[in-house]
Amino acid sequence: MNLEVIENATCTFCGCVCDDIDLHHDGVRIHKAERACVLGTAWFLNHTAEKKYPVALVDGEEVSLDVAIETAATLLHAADMPLVYGMSNTTCEAQKECVALADLLGGLLDSHTSL
Amino acid sequence: MGGKVTCTLGEVKQRADFIIYWGGNPAECHPRHFTKYTIMQKSKFLPRGRKDRTMVLVDIRETKSAKAADIFLQVRPGKDFELITILRALIKDQPVRDEDIAETGLDRAAVEDLVRRMKGAKFGCMFFGMGLSMTRGKHMNSAALLTLAAEMNAFTKFVAMPMRGHGNVTGADVIMRWQTGYPFGISFNRGYPRYNPGEFSTVDVLVRGDCDAAFIIGADPGATMPQPAIDHLARIPTIVLDPHITHTSRLARVHITTAPQGISAPGTAYRMDELPMPLSPALKSPYPTDEEVVRRINEAIAKKPFWLPDGGPSPHQWTSQVNL
Amino acid sequence: MIRITGGKIYDPAQGIDGQVRDLCIDDTGKIVETVSGGRIIDATGMVIFPGGVDVHTHVAGGAINFARAMTPEDHRRTQAFIRTKTRRSGLGGMAPTTFATGYLYAGMGFTTVNEAAVPVLSARHTHEELADIPIIDKASLTLMANNEILLEQLEQGEYERAKQVLSWYLWAAKSYGVKAVNPGGVKAWKYGHDAKALDTPIDGYHRLTPGQIVTNLARICDDLGLPHPVHLHCNNLGAPGNITTTLDTLARLEGHRAHIAHSQYHAYGGDGWDTMCSETTVLAEYFNSHPNLTTDAGVVLFGDTVTITADGPWQHLLYKLTGRKWGNLDVENETGCGIVPYTYRPSNVVNAVQWAAGLELLLMIRDPWQVFLSTDHPNGGCFWRYPEIIQMLMSAEFRRECLKKLPDRVKSRIKLPELDREYTLLEIATAMSAGPARALGLTHKGHLGVGADADVVVYEEQVDIQQMFSHPRYVIKAGEVVLEDGDIREAPQGKEFLVRPAMDPATNDFIRPLFEDCYTMKFEHYPVELERIEHPDLRDCQPPATS
Ligand code: SF4
Ligand SMILES: [Zn+2]
Repeated sequence: MNLEVIENATCTFCGCVCDDIDLHHDGVRIHKAERACVLGTAWFLNHTAEKKYPVALVDGEEVSLDVAIETAATLLHAADMPLVYGMSNTTCEAQKECVALADLLGGLLDSHTSL
Repeated sequence: MGGKVTCTLGEVKQRADFIIYWGGNPAECHPRHFTKYTIMQKSKFLPRGRKDRTMVLVDIRETKSAKAADIFLQVRPGKDFELITILRALIKDQPVRDEDIAETGLDRAAVEDLVRRMKGAKFGCMFFGMGLSMTRGKHMNSAALLTLAAEMNAFTKFVAMPMRGHGNVTGADVIMRWQTGYPFGISFNRGYPRYNPGEFSTVDVLVRGDCDAAFIIGADPGATMPQPAIDHLARIPTIVLDPHITHTSRLARVHITTAPQGISAPGTAYRMDELPMPLSPALKSPYPTDEEVVRRINEAIAKKPFWLPDGGPSPHQWTSQVNL
Repeated sequence: MIRITGGKIYDPAQGIDGQVRDLCIDDTGKIVETVSGGRIIDATGMVIFPGGVDVHTHVAGGAINFARAMTPEDHRRTQAFIRTKTRRSGLGGMAPTTFATGYLYAGMGFTTVNEAAVPVLSARHTHEELADIPIIDKASLTLMANNEILLEQLEQGEYERAKQVLSWYLWAAKSYGVKAVNPGGVKAWKYGHDAKALDTPIDGYHRLTPGQIVTNLARICDDLGLPHPVHLHCNNLGAPGNITTTLDTLARLEGHRAHIAHSQYHAYGGDGWDTMCSETTVLAEYFNSHPNLTTDAGVVLFGDTVTITADGPWQHLLYKLTGRKWGNLDVENETGCGIVPYTYRPSNVVNAVQWAAGLELLLMIRDPWQVFLSTDHPNGGCFWRYPEIIQMLMSAEFRRECLKKLPDRVKSRIKLPELDREYTLLEIATAMSAGPARALGLTHKGHLGVGADADVVVYEEQVDIQQMFSHPRYVIKAGEVVLEDGDIREAPQGKEFLVRPAMDPATNDFIRPLFEDCYTMKFEHYPVELERIEHPDLRDCQPPATS
């Protein structure tokens, strides 16, 4: 098998955030995560580029991304006290959008740290 | 936060000849911590690496990390705060009664030996984990440990650092601080950020039934939170963004599948010492990134009527307040 | 397009001292000769300045963000910026949030600021924060005087190599220039020591002294032709009797250009806290006879603040003196920083001396092109209190009122009661805009000549000077009216200034193994990518012609 290698990839599974991992992949799966520990290896190898889940669900029904985004916006906008929570397993770029969301809504904003 | 005397992990790698892990199990939870950052590294100041360093583990049970330690101190469950307080007294040569030491599950010889080693270190570093910050005493324990580290600087160089887990939770903390002034537990319901953990923290909010919609991203509270909190999430419209269908997705009104960070989503993540690392995703995802989805939700909401009257004057004055 | 008519213009660079003239701004955000059409702002009876420029402040990055975490009690009592449809919410106070920082600076007519202390290792973080400071333009300086890889080159006497290494670091950090903090002392602090004497080899080195670091950094900045010279925070900050160190340091510049940061903190006599006094006369005299030097005052204002500096040993001392919270963050190979909340009190003799010394320097250094408004925010006080300083500079009467609050035993230790000078509006415009812009080498800032950036502030002339400078009538940034009648109207994204000094490409391979020795991240991930900077503006370096 001819694998492509992404050098110096970063593992975000734990707070060590190791940034020296070489990922050997075939475009669909990562087959080897060089220098990653057992936890990091499991993290990298368990994700695929396959479409395993529907893009979006509203009330259990598959919908398009556009519909899901509009529904989410409507529900959040309608709420008096919406909560934005989590942000552990995501990028800083997404986290900034989350703070902007809570700010725009006049809602609550919290992360895993409060647990 | 009171104070914190800390450093980046490279300082530990280069200089720390004395390392305490307190209430954490790096061997299993942060597996490369020893090799990349702490005891196994050689440096120009510690050329023999492991041989030039002493490692102490303080925990309520003998975890796998104990094997890596030179000294393992088994503290009685719930007695961390007491032990830290005793150490704070002993470094300053204040008297401590035997029975108070015995309470912690350790004996005087062991505790005094620890104090001697701490003071004898050239550069000491204490890492504390969830075993300290999430058990009886909670943030009181972390605060006490941080104070101990600060006070040790009267004798030698000493720092402390929390062992943060959970992916990029440090990034969330850092960003919320610069954008809102606070690290978590924030309410914008007056139009500006206010902070009150216990009131605005999620478990409390959910258990009290205080929110009427929830947007969950990069977490699965449906699997980890107490049942009354989960029940409330099921009662209100909940929206989930996650690479997988999670427990929370199953009770949510809306689930949107997103690309996992660092695997197929690019961006940045912060290390436990608050240094940002760029991500280099390997796979192309059929799903959008979290960043893209939240931005589009923001854009959709921005088109709807704004909840505050626009352009109103701030309730506070544009004047300086000087407290003499 | 905007035409501002009828206003009295104060433009020190062009020698315009209150003449009434029209000011025209085109659609690219520049000052032009004339425009036809567009908005007309009637500024009759008003005062027009070029937008303010802060040469030395701390508004973004690991240290100020650490300070935010340490002061939640201040956030709660401070000014809140309410979210509007187009403007993010924020909090002012001792360590304002990023969005509020932009609103507060623009709100008092400042349009460019220089973040004065960035470790390369947290440059990525700092630029993210700078991008979240709206409206104003920004530059940042890189901490170099305790960088062990650089110091090692100087220890070996490898000047050329040191110059290359420094260039490499500046570009890696996407920085605008060089900051030197307590040369050698922060490095020594890594093992709990300090560097106080300029000629004693630094802890861990055989030959290299703080004095040599000063000389070499000043020379490198000039040889690379950086637009801003070395920005120097001298050794022994805050200590009684440190005037000797400061004068000694200035002598080490050997004729090179330099900007001396917050010189108030370096102008003390006495041999202990009991005898500490102001020695600003000698320091001011030095500046008066050395036109190649500039400085910012680092004025102390009474009240609460939080002090943050790369000077770790000083912060440990302050923590021991105050018994208050202490934050410290050592950064591998490069630097460190300390954070201590602090209250300056008029009843405290040391604080009173500090307060007087800052104003004395502003009044005794004769040329306002050499001494600039600063509080070393947030160290001496918060930047949004600058209008208080302006009032003290413009009114000897007001200063006399303030002096009455000081204990009598202070009076013999300060010079302020003897000083009658009052700044004119032109001198204020010099000290808050034209001078700092020139010192930073930002040729398109700090003046209102044709081709300059249209950063303009319009004040209503008032007897209450503090009121006048706290509440401009209009603030225009790059040709856009961002503030009108006391309200932020627009919050556009500003630019970031960077330099890319010449560098031997082999330097990358030279640094790599040294880097891998002490850092823990991948070498490839260390330099900040240019794409990460929002609206970068690359400024030219002008190395001296080699003959
Ligand atoms: S490779 Fe292992 S130690 Fe490193 S970040 Fe991933 S899980 Fe943590
Ligand atoms: Zn400063």
